[in-house]
Amino acid sequence: MKSAGAVVSNPLRVAVAAADEAAQGRLAALVSQCGHELVEVSAGPDAVLTEGAADAVIPSLVVALGVVDEEFGGLLPADAGVTQIDAALRAVAAGLTVRGPHRRRRDFKPLPEEMPALLTPREIEILVALGNGLSNKETARRLGISPHTVKFHVESLLRKLDASSRAEAVAKGLKQQIVEF
Amino acid sequence: MPDTAHNLLTSLSEALDECASFARPLVAGIAVRGRRLRSGTLWRKGVVVASEQAFPEAGEATVTFADARAFAARVAGRDPGTNVIVLRLDGTPDPPPLPAAEPHLGGIAVGFGADEAGISIRLGIVHSVGPAWHSRAGGRIDRRITLDMAVTPREEGGPVLDAAGGILGISTLGPRRRVLVIPSSTVDAVIEPLLSKGQVERGWLGAALQPVLVPEELRSEAGAARALMIMGVSKDGPAAQANLHVGDILVAIGGQSVSSPAMVAQHLGPDSVGQPIELRLIRAGNLLPTHVTVAARPAR
Repeated sequence: MKSAGAVVSNPLRVAVAAADEAAQGRLAALVSQCGHELVEVSAGPDAVLTEGAADAVIPSLVVALGVVDEEFGGLLPADAGVTQIDAALRAVAAGLTVRGPHRRRRDFKPLPEEMPALLTPREIEILVALGNGLSNKETARRLGISPHTVKFHVESLLRKLDASSRAEAVAKGLKQQIVEF
Repeated sequence: MPDTAHNLLTSLSEALDECASFARPLVAGIAVRGRRLRSGTLWRKGVVVASEQAFPEAGEATVTFADARAFAARVAGRDPGTNVIVLRLDGTPDPPPLPAAEPHLGGIAVGFGADEAGISIRLGIVHSVGPAWHSRAGGRIDRRITLDMAVTPREEGGPVLDAAGGILGISTLGPRRRVLVIPSSTVDAVIEPLLSKGQVERGWLGAALQPVLVPEELRSEAGAARALMIMGVSKDGPAAQANLHVGDILVAIGGQSVSSPAMVAQHLGPDSVGQPIELRLIRAGNLLPTHVTVAARPAR
């Protein structure tokens, strides 16, 4: 495939918000390693990098390292690398929201409501196979049934779970329903 | 504007003003180094409660009240089950004794949060009131109270009062930013164990369960049409020690059928830890009675 031309990675104007000079220096070094121009917070930066509080700036433009604050545009772990930091700064500058992996989720929620249509043990086995990315053929082989039977069950699962794809069926039927006790 | 409307609005405004004066001494602004301000509620002398899910993994904080007095605070304990974190402060004044309020559908609810300038206030109504419910993290919350009120992450954990100035509980953000109230009675129930032990113990089986339809040919023997299939077993957990397997179907606990996760949660309260309980399983088409010794749910 022919490339339509690489996106030119223009440097951004990035400010840092730090509580002390040591942090200020650390963050400024990261900004320059990303190849961006360091500007003052008051200069209307494209993005802001911080390790802690970042008052007086628009929260959606802030990339925070090792801080969990849902109002910030970007949340990365404290030990995020330059590549991740650069990507996050560019993303928040473009109006996107960035969340790193292993972030502690806000997860205070009720136990799942009971599904209107419960699945049978066989349907659950098939759903688990779908969740593992198995094809109908592979699922049939694993469970010792015919591919035709698998197809029948998959169609019934989509109907029961009101799902339009296998992925949606797995999400609705398994991920939201399994509870650890 | 007709006189009656004018009077109604000024009365409402005065009532809110009064409500704010009741709440003001309770509203705690919680600052953890390097984080944005959070809200909490002075629950009793020297004890502030707040939202557990919103609180960073920190042990210390500074708590500031609306009169600008600031106190050093230590995290005494946290309970993801009821979403309550308890902070202990040195030498706060006694909070005004506000009576616990019962939620009424459609009743006025007034929410408060901490603000850099003091406190912020929100007006809404009690959107729904339901029975006790269980959170995924294993906690039992005495009433299901939702509010028709906007609450920001900064305000979460502040007190919610009713029209008469009684305290309904503390605000909490649920799924999809729905605003819930953790009722006063639930906060009262977890505060002692959190202060003395730092946590609230709850029962744990070490098994992942999924609701399932019992195959028709086994329904009469099992005595139930719905049950829970074991989808995973934690290594060295009670279920593993009792030799439970993935694929087993759990039909009953302690002689009572369990057809939903909430029914399992009822058997795993704080008193269940260390106790043996009887289980009925379906394995390979046969009914199988067994038992496990409930362990304490490991910290997250």
